[in-house]
Amino acid sequence: MKNLTAIPGVPPLIACLCLLIAWQLLSMRWGLDSLPTAWESLMELPRILNDPKARYDILSSVRRMMTGFVLALAFAIPIGLMMGRSRKVAAFFNPLFMMIYPVPKAALMPIIMLWLGIGDASKTLVIFLGVSLPVIYHTYQGSKAVGEKLMWSGAAMGMTKRQQLFRIVLPAAMPEIMVGCRTGLVLALITMVTSEMIVRQAGIGNLIYNSLDLAQYSATYATIVIVGVLGFVLDLAFEKLRGIVVGWADPVHAIAVGSA
Amino acid sequence: MTAKTRLSELAIGMIPILLLLGLWQYLTAFKIAPPGLLPPPGVVFARFFQLLGDPTFLGHAAITMYRLVWGFGLAVVVGVGLGILGAGSRVAGSLLRPVIRVLAPVPKVALYPAFMLTLGFDHASKIALVFADALFPILLATLQGALAVEPKLVWSARAMGVSKLKCLFTVVLTAALPSILTGCRIGLVISCIVVFLSEMISSTDGLGYLLVRAARSFQTVDMFVPIIAISVLGLLLNAGFNALRARLLRGFPEEN
Repeated sequence: MKNLTAIPGVPPLIACLCLLIAWQLLSMRWGLDSLPTAWESLMELPRILNDPKARYDILSSVRRMMTGFVLALAFAIPIGLMMGRSRKVAAFFNPLFMMIYPVPKAALMPIIMLWLGIGDASKTLVIFLGVSLPVIYHTYQGSKAVGEKLMWSGAAMGMTKRQQLFRIVLPAAMPEIMVGCRTGLVLALITMVTSEMIVRQAGIGNLIYNSLDLAQYSATYATIVIVGVLGFVLDLAFEKLRGIVVGWADPVHAIAVGSA
Repeated sequence: MTAKTRLSELAIGMIPILLLLGLWQYLTAFKIAPPGLLPPPGVVFARFFQLLGDPTFLGHAAITMYRLVWGFGLAVVVGVGLGILGAGSRVAGSLLRPVIRVLAPVPKVALYPAFMLTLGFDHASKIALVFADALFPILLATLQGALAVEPKLVWSARAMGVSKLKCLFTVVLTAALPSILTGCRIGLVISCIVVFLSEMISSTDGLGYLLVRAARSFQTVDMFVPIIAISVLGLLLNAGFNALRARLLRGFPEEN
């Protein structure tokens, strides 16, 4: 048993199993129509994944999520780096970001829809907004903490400002930037699901509510499981990527949770 | 940092905020954006302050606050309790960690329909969602903080005859307090956001419902007001929490 739990990946699997068993027991004990057993719900999974309409919904959601995420990274990392390297830039942006921080981004959906319509643009924009802030914050913290001595040695060896930024600051801040990206990825998924649940027009969020409206409760739970697995897999994949990119740094146990 | 540079940095920080407000005013004043889509900032803020005196609006805000406080409070109690337990006992820790690993990256909003089906449309399902969302930052921060406590502190307390259980609460809990409070602050802002979203998804009261109702009847001014209200609420709670934190952590080195 001791050897088994030492294998990475086994404890989370056991945890999943325990959660499923708890769900099964709870629903059997409670006997609510609106809480089908874990088994019934999982049996719905192949049906949902084979349904072309549902598959299209899920894939287009993921596509929007990735678009918003990548756009946010392209915008947030340069801003964060500039804030970290210049006190003036940091003083310029900080109060604005502090003000925006508690605004629920997905709640802007109805307003943004008025402006950009109900297409992909508004959904991607909301995801973009949700992801940007944590990435900016972590990039800022990371690049601010770069040791001055490193910069001095770089300057002494004749590096230009530009070289210093790309050869010293960016790599040194990378572990922290990756933390921001990981938080951002989880947030992208959360914002995506939330905005789709608020607007209920397409995507995974809509899928959940459609089955809810049709009282196909086991399908509702199965879709929730799909979203949960998606979150877990994305997080896991990112952790692997982090190991490859900044394997030299100590793993940072960041609080990779958030809400949009 | 002298008071003068602090002041000038504050002035620099005002620039983007004023620019945004200016742009907003410019867009509406010169009819570039139709007022139906983007009402002038003056009108929005006037409506906000007018509604602050309106009992119905305040009632909705109170309902939102009620759900927020309950969800957040439960999350603090359970999160700190489980976190301390997980750090204090090896068995509890190894049980807790995989569960956190699996559940933390799961988007909790997706669970909302499940809460609705099992707990009903009323307060309980929203409180459950706020609880689920605020729990993990608090739990993780407590766990990390408690694990990072200097073992020598615990050893000396144990050597002086403090029982193991008492040690957890008098030594570990206090030493981990800075980390715990950081987690709580994150959890507080998250609760604020989540309670609003849950009310937007399905509700008949609360600030989030006001936004959805305004959106359905195309009253743009009233769509902006709840968003401003929840953001101001978030900022106020955050500031209040920082003040509390500064009081509780007198003597600890400052960190953000």
